[in-house]
Amino acid sequence: MNHRYSLLLAAAAAACVAACSSTPETIDELETARAVVPQVEASPRAGVAVTNITDARKALDRANALAEKHGKVADIQYEATVASRNAQIANEKILTAQARDDIDKGTAERQTVLTEAREREARSATERANALERELADLKGKKTERGIVVTMGDVLFDTGKATLKPGAYTTVERLAAVLKEDPQRKVMIEGHTDNVGSDEYNQSLSERRAASVQAALFERGVDASQISTVGKGETTPVASNDNAAGRQQNRRVELVFQEDRSKVASDTD
Amino acid sequence: MNSRMTRAAGLLALTAVLLAGCSGVSDLTKERVARSETSVQQAQQTLGNSEQGAIELQRAKDNLDRARQAIKDGDEQPAQRYAQLAQLDAELAVSKSQSASARKAADEMLASIKQLRQEAERSSPTNPQRTTDDQ
Repeated sequence: MNHRYSLLLAAAAAACVAACSSTPETIDELETARAVVPQVEASPRAGVAVTNITDARKALDRANALAEKHGKVADIQYEATVASRNAQIANEKILTAQARDDIDKGTAERQTVLTEAREREARSATERANALERELADLKGKKTERGIVVTMGDVLFDTGKATLKPGAYTTVERLAAVLKEDPQRKVMIEGHTDNVGSDEYNQSLSERRAASVQAALFERGVDASQISTVGKGETTPVASNDNAAGRQQNRRVELVFQEDRSKVASDTD
Repeated sequence: MNSRMTRAAGLLALTAVLLAGCSGVSDLTKERVARSETSVQQAQQTLGNSEQGAIELQRAKDNLDRARQAIKDGDEQPAQRYAQLAQLDAELAVSKSQSASARKAADEMLASIKQLRQEAERSSPTNPQRTTDDQ
């Protein structure tokens, strides 16, 4: 009795399975196709894969129609697979187009970056030069034919001596900073005196004063190749030696910064 | 024993008749299978040993084998379908490997630009605002 009942149940179940097997609730291939086809259709780059997307849509429509009519599972699976494959191919073509766009944009951007770097380099070179001129202007540098001339007056030295007074340190610091900022920049340090005393004495004093400024710059880290010195004694006055004020003006050290950076500035060269 | 042999022979004969009846796979279908064969070979050449698309290529080969078998068996529709699937898988394998190499090239390009930007920023410390300007 019991045995027969279970047999009946099994038969009923088998019948049901057989009936349902032609169109089960879900067919994986169809679900996949229904998900992927609209995705590629919606892509803004769908234009690169028109044929595949059209084929995918047609196959999906066929698969849907078959499912609607409870067609054979194998037929639905086939059409759905064709739809999915075409959609996948379309997707890869879209990805390729995106990558190529990125490469094109990248090529342009690379060029921009390189150009910007070159312009920035040129700008910073100009800025360095301008900064130097501003700095020298602050130090009351005068533009002359020989270049920008910064004068360190007699008051910055002990009388008759080559030693720099502490009052000269600020100026020296700034000059050192200017030279270190632009290692290509060369400076000629010229010592000058008034006409009091012998020529030999004045020559020697002017040389020692120039050397003293040079040493102070070396101490602050300026490269030796940037500096040269010359003692000019009393040969190049800037004022009359007939009065005290004029003589004081003549006792000086001049730093000549060549604007054309290729050579050391000096009218004696 | 003897009767079983006879029955087997009969079955065989019947199968042969059936096969003969169905073996007329159309030339069109055979052509289609041949085209897929060419596509699979081309995909193989394009891919070489690259991993991208390798799975799809294998699937294409499997489908091609099934299509060939279907021709042998005289099954028209399966031959057509497997040929079509082999064709699509071969195309998918190729397009996958192409998109992978295009992506790789694009990523390398982006990396080189990033490096260039970093170098440019490092070499111009006088321009600190650049670092905040960029992106």
